[in-house]
Amino acid sequence: MIRYTLTTLFLLLAAFVVQQFLPAFTGLDNARVLIVQLVFLCAAVTVGTPTMLLLAFVGGLLWDAQCTLGPQGGTPEIYSQPVESLRFGYSVLLFGAMGFLMQGIQPLFRQGKWQFSALLSGIAVFLYLSAEYALINFVRGDFVLTHGIIRRIALTSLLTMLFSPLVFWLLFRVANACRHTIRFDGIKRHRRQQRYS
Amino acid sequence: MKPLNLIALLLFLAGAAWALTRSDRSVREIQAGYYRAISPFLKAGSAMETRARSFLDEVHHSKELEIEARAQQDEIGRLRLIESRFRELESENANLRHALNFAKATKFEVVTARITRRQPTTWWQTVEIDRGENAKIGTQLPVLCNEGLVGQIDQTRPDRATVILLTDEKCQVSAKVEGTPEVGIVSGQRAFDGPPMLRLRFLTKDTAVKKGQRVFTTGRGGLFPANLLLGTVESVEKGSLDSEALVRPSVNFADLDTVFVALTAGE
Repeated sequence: MIRYTLTTLFLLLAAFVVQQFLPAFTGLDNARVLIVQLVFLCAAVTVGTPTMLLLAFVGGLLWDAQCTLGPQGGTPEIYSQPVESLRFGYSVLLFGAMGFLMQGIQPLFRQGKWQFSALLSGIAVFLYLSAEYALINFVRGDFVLTHGIIRRIALTSLLTMLFSPLVFWLLFRVANACRHTIRFDGIKRHRRQQRYS
Repeated sequence: MKPLNLIALLLFLAGAAWALTRSDRSVREIQAGYYRAISPFLKAGSAMETRARSFLDEVHHSKELEIEARAQQDEIGRLRLIESRFRELESENANLRHALNFAKATKFEVVTARITRRQPTTWWQTVEIDRGENAKIGTQLPVLCNEGLVGQIDQTRPDRATVILLTDEKCQVSAKVEGTPEVGIVSGQRAFDGPPMLRLRFLTKDTAVKKGQRVFTTGRGGLFPANLLLGTVESVEKGSLDSEALVRPSVNFADLDTVFVALTAGE
């Protein structure tokens, strides 16, 4: 269990490095593959709540370290209305919320139906980006929603979801290597079938 | 809820509260630590990328590159001549200012940088350049190109820096419209379909600004030098309290490759 937890944590950190080399697809409304969020969401469904929360904290904190913009500066007399930014650390809460969402279908995943989790990872990314954009609008005022933004969110979710079978495959391999069981029910059913036959 | 889960949730919330209450300074320290930790991977990755790109370029365009290199060498020679003349004039100017007892000497040093990454984050209009603190680049310095103002330095690392583009809503620039006494604040738009446009806000209610007029920096506010071209007025919308203009940026942000970081900010 400990080995698997540490490995998922390492995978999440590795995803941050990989994310640096994944460009935005300018032809697709700047959509991109969010590998960090994907690794977190896929790992969240394979671990218990405490480990998921640990991953959410580390993931959210480092994501904000990567993306937060600094203050613009300038004299307040001229720049009297600075544009508000999201506070550092908001991603920790978003990651946590998405992690709980993924854990909601953990029973299905444990029956070996990883396809539902893969689909939900896409939905979770969509909700994550929508919530993030809604928060930006909330702190800055004036709700602005264009077709481009909707396409960017939808395409990013879709592109990210397409990679989820790969991440699940990786997690199953890691779990086997760490002798950690992440599909209790499926294995039980398989063993039962073996016993009866 | 199991006691262990409850304890984990409470610790998580405490951690989130800790993160949310960090000051700007400590956020910068966390960011610096994060980039320090991943910089070996970034260096290795970008070196591999450069090698791969140069190999491909060599394979596909060796002839074209040769011609281009020759043309660039000629251009460098020409620019060196201009630069030496410029330095001469600068020193002459400094001497004249000194002779006239000018208290303030103007200095406009720039560092050339290449864009290495575009749009590294989902929502912010930013790019990454291949020069950083080692080239004396600091935060909030203006970034320019031949066509005008590109943006402002946001984060710096020893050999990299992030530039927040003029098209981002967070990049605000004190601006004036040529041929009018109108001044306002130019900033990007949060969301747009099609090519990016800028908003020029806080113009007077009955502004005389017209389509086609050029917009320049005022130099006020301590961030950007004066008289840098920002764009051209595309349309004007008059409101009950003030007016707003839509400005087409002078810089083609999709085609940016080399930029110049001014090592001094505005007034």
